Amino acid sequence: MSFVSKYLTGWSFRTTTPSFEEGQEVSLFVTGTRGGTPVARVGDTVLRLSNAPPEAVDSRVRARVTAFDETDHTGEAEYIETVGESAF
Amino acid sequence: MVGETPDSDAVDAELRTDVENADTAGPDIRFRGGRWVSALPLAFFVVWAIFQSGVLRISDTTGLVGGMLIGLILGLFLVKGSWKTYADTIFEGMTRQVAATAVVAWLWAGMFAETIQTGGFVSGLVWAANAADIGAGLFPAATFILAGLLTTGIGTGYGATVAFSSLFFPAGVLLGANPVLLFGAILSGAVFGDNLAPVSDTTIVSAVTQDADIGGVVASRFKYAIVAAVLAFAAYVIAGLSMSGPEISGQAREVLIQNSDPVGLVHLVSMLVVIGTAVAGRHIVEAISWGLVVAVGFNLALGLASVSEMLVFRAPQDLGVAQSLSWLPFLELASTDSVGIGGSIITGAQGFFPLIVLVLLIVAGAQIMIRGGGFQAILEWLLSSVATSVRRSELAMVLGTALVNAMITINTAAEIAIAPYIARLGERFNINGYRRANILDANTSALGYIFPWSGGLLVGFAVIESLPNQFEWFTESMVVNPIDVFPFVFHGWLLVGVFILAALTGFGREYTTDRTVEEVERV
Repeated sequence: MSFVSKYLTGWSFRTTTPSFEEGQEVSLFVTGTRGGTPVARVGDTVLRLSNAPPEAVDSRVRARVTAFDETDHTGEAEYIETVGESAF
Repeated sequence: MVGETPDSDAVDAELRTDVENADTAGPDIRFRGGRWVSALPLAFFVVWAIFQSGVLRISDTTGLVGGMLIGLILGLFLVKGSWKTYADTIFEGMTRQVAATAVVAWLWAGMFAETIQTGGFVSGLVWAANAADIGAGLFPAATFILAGLLTTGIGTGYGATVAFSSLFFPAGVLLGANPVLLFGAILSGAVFGDNLAPVSDTTIVSAVTQDADIGGVVASRFKYAIVAAVLAFAAYVIAGLSMSGPEISGQAREVLIQNSDPVGLVHLVSMLVVIGTAVAGRHIVEAISWGLVVAVGFNLALGLASVSEMLVFRAPQDLGVAQSLSWLPFLELASTDSVGIGGSIITGAQGFFPLIVLVLLIVAGAQIMIRGGGFQAILEWLLSSVATSVRRSELAMVLGTALVNAMITINTAAEIAIAPYIARLGERFNINGYRRANILDANTSALGYIFPWSGGLLVGFAVIESLPNQFEWFTESMVVNPIDVFPFVFHGWLLVGVFILAALTGFGREYTTDRTVEEVERV
């Protein structure tokens, strides 16, 4: 990212329920589990990561979005790998 | 009021399930009285800090170290079973990356800041104010900009407040500016720089605790800072023109001219070297090292400071070896009572020693709270009853930081204490490191100079209080009472306001899926 674009990023009003495209690869924190399935909340959007291992919870992972429902802001994502830990 | 999303009830229920299922691992240290007792060392420290800085108005970081040490000892007596795990956890906390990174960055920042101050940076700013020929009405607005510039360069709002309160403040009062407004403008400049400078201790803490690179954090917070600063500048212009000051004979120019030197302004270049290299993505140690090299070069080439002002060995004058080496530019012969090592590079780093010890102990206390389950208990409560949507979570972060800063008035200490909660609250909604660091630092920087009992305000007040002894014309009636100035720290109030609005409207919000912070990428 260029010097100038670092200053220009974020000059907007971001939604509480971000959307994702099918096939989109994302890096995110796995924030908990629901019914035994690891999930990642991004704002108030929820992505289920059915194939993520239980220890992925509270870690940062790479995942690929496989389905997304715009109406209720939920989706499915495929876990690829764990790439980091929580800052604390 | 807390904002709600249309589907917040559903979201709340889902989140509670998240929390119930999250992190069910048992605590490593067991305390008599349950997991909340693991918060005792930090809680004792907070009470100590409130008593010391809030009640008794003693703004002394070294004193806070005492509170943390005694707190850690008290916690030991409440451990069930072996005390060894507790002791080991203190080591575990102290050796955490977050502490080490802050320590290194502070040491470098301290050396740089002191070296450009020794090189006459403040005199350069005074010269600029004089050359611009501003009147009493515009003096507070100009003071805000110049104090902001100095703090952005040296990174310490406390240092800039002292420098401006002792030089700019009497000069402005002589020109006829309103003293209360003038002091407010100085504190506003300190807030601006503390918030935005890459070498500021609060900037460093906010970035490293949220796993973000310092340059990226500075660039991403510019949008909030500039919105607040433009409004604050306008407010100082309007207030400056409508609020009059005391009438004193025209000695103002003399006070200004005596203390001005345009050459000191070259350190704007030293400052830009640090900001430029840090924002370009270089490591903060590299960025400040380059800035330091440039600053030392300017000081020597332009005669702004001698070698011995930046680094000096003061050896005993009766020592034979010292006498034969006394031709060295960094060696001075001294009487027994003044033997030691000095100069801006040493004293700059040394200024951070108390804070370094304090942060190591606080991180140790935080680790005991994590291992004892207290951290998880508070987090569960916050997540299940307060931070139930991303908007509410961000508001909780803004207001929580404000509350802790109101209690622990030495702002860096407050920031370190609240940082783990900001990290976890934000991560639970995938708010990225830059946004979290910005929420954390804006309130910390602002409120550290707003409350009448805050460290930053008291540091300036201590200087202003001594002015009647220094200048014959400066009367007791011109001394600004801390309680009078706090409504006039415009930039501080506006910065807090910008963040409350940003949490409610989503202005500047970034998710981890939008942009990965660079420090994480490097790892």
